[in-house]
Amino acid sequence: MKQKNTNYIGIVVLFLLGAVMPLVLKRYHLNMLTEIIIFALYAVSYNLLLGYAGLLSFGHAMFFGLGAFVAAVATIHIQGLTLLSAVLIGFLVTIIAGFLIGALLLRHKGAYFALLTLAFNSLFYAVATKWHSVTGGDDGLSITRPELNLGFTSFPVASVSSFYYLTLIVVGAVIVFCWYFTQTAMGKTVLLMRENEERMRFLGYNTNVSRLILFTFTGAIAGLAGAFYTLHFQFVSISAISIDMTTAVLLMVFIGGTGTFWGPILGAFVYIIFQNYLSDITDRWPLFMGIIFVFMVLYVPGGLSQTIMSIRQRFSGKNDNRSDGPAQAEEAPL
Amino acid sequence: MSNFPVFFLHGLAYAGLLFLVSAGLTLVFGMMNVLNFAHAAMYMMGAYFSYSIVLRMTGQIWLSMMLCPLILFVIGALIERFLLRRAHVYGHVQELLLTFGLAYIITELVKWHWGNYPLAVNVTGILNSTVQIFGITYPVYRIFVFLCAVAVGIMMALILYKTRLGIILRAAVNDNEMANTLGVNVPLVFMGVFAFGAALSGFAGVIAGPLLSTYPGMAQDILIDAFVVIVVGGFGSLGGAVIASLLIGELQSFGVLLFPKLSIALVYLLMVAVLIIKPSGLFGEEEE
Repeated sequence: MKQKNTNYIGIVVLFLLGAVMPLVLKRYHLNMLTEIIIFALYAVSYNLLLGYAGLLSFGHAMFFGLGAFVAAVATIHIQGLTLLSAVLIGFLVTIIAGFLIGALLLRHKGAYFALLTLAFNSLFYAVATKWHSVTGGDDGLSITRPELNLGFTSFPVASVSSFYYLTLIVVGAVIVFCWYFTQTAMGKTVLLMRENEERMRFLGYNTNVSRLILFTFTGAIAGLAGAFYTLHFQFVSISAISIDMTTAVLLMVFIGGTGTFWGPILGAFVYIIFQNYLSDITDRWPLFMGIIFVFMVLYVPGGLSQTIMSIRQRFSGKNDNRSDGPAQAEEAPL
Repeated sequence: MSNFPVFFLHGLAYAGLLFLVSAGLTLVFGMMNVLNFAHAAMYMMGAYFSYSIVLRMTGQIWLSMMLCPLILFVIGALIERFLLRRAHVYGHVQELLLTFGLAYIITELVKWHWGNYPLAVNVTGILNSTVQIFGITYPVYRIFVFLCAVAVGIMMALILYKTRLGIILRAAVNDNEMANTLGVNVPLVFMGVFAFGAALSGFAGVIAGPLLSTYPGMAQDILIDAFVVIVVGGFGSLGGAVIASLLIGELQSFGVLLFPKLSIALVYLLMVAVLIIKPSGLFGEEEE
């Protein structure tokens, strides 16, 4: 119980810290922070799939991009659509897509599953590129951020700080929900399924259904992040649905580490900041990102979060077996 | 349908190229259980090395055809020995991630060195001529591509099923611990197989240069098609790769003729159909 309380306190502190940021940060950095929060959600959703369920997907960008495009198309074509409705439409469409694709792909495991997700991602990419009349093809789509309508009142979120607050509250709440999800029976089922699927099946769990639910859920969360991505930049291009976007999330998750819930959030933070500064210094930043990625995969498979955890343990002198092996997610605190 | 022979031959040429790429992919997967996402990146390296060789040696594509596979054989062996083997310790996911990361790095390096635009490789001599076939005039080079694929396919089948080396390879696949116990140097076999796969992709890259031109997106383009070949043909099946390559090559070719707007989706539709009807692929064995 004590562990849980510190988690809740941690969440509250983070939100409060986030709330004062617009007073401290300049416009440029506030924009960056908004981006970080959105990508943190994207990375968290991917980690639920990879770190918790052990499903390696190379096609997570199809959900992110689908959410992004659906939100953009809905905003353009539906008159007077409010901001949250646009997000909701993106979210619902990705739920359907996630369910259908999951039903088709989850019959396979391991390398085969990874291959199929990549193939489906490129199907989405091909459609987005060729369906010029709807997606804008290579030109992408520009939108104007709609107003936020809460039923009784509506206010504009055109300014950087107001959209930042909206992102902090909504996306932040969804991240907390994802964490809550890992604590529920469903979340634990997924985790145990990864550890010993046969036993779970023997105990009467329908592992295929659980996996499909998780796949749909993580896809929908990625779609939500995608919708916010569109609203943040007020623009969406086909790069949002390309393999590069999958590579980005892989990098974030692996920099942060798959073993803890908060690892990918840290990873998104490091990735975005790194990308911003590295791209100022050199045009070759993707190359450095790739080298960092391969280095992490080979030498630090647990990512930054594992390194932090083992350092913390060394100092606190406690020696529980938490740092043994990557992805001991069941013990991960927030 | 006066265009029929042209499109048919186009399809054959692309099928040949697809087979060269997917054969290496499926071989490495079948032997080592590693799905090599960097396979197509090595194919691209082959194409770019060939471009540089042809440029310096005034049009000697024959030279590239011999040199590039050798270079990639060495690169493949080094990758297996120093990177893949290390990742193997951490498990399957790590191996896939490693090859994915390598593909990314190779693509960036290629963009850096050769630029982010298409480069043309031209062939000279007899390969640059045309021939009368089925009552049409057709470039020799495309037929040559197809013949190369046939030759490589036959060679692979002969090695795998008619030689002692083939027996060792198949033994290492079937039960590598037992093969190891019986005195087969399994790590060496794996290194050889991976390097051979890389050499094969390098060869395919050389062939692809004059056919499709050389550009940084070529790896991803062929990778997806090769994946579809593997899905349709069945994982790790060489025979399946032959049939699926032909099927997809022709589908690509006639798709452009018959349904210009849908052509890009046809290949994926075939894949989805196979996934629904026979998830293990046309010639694949059931998983587990």
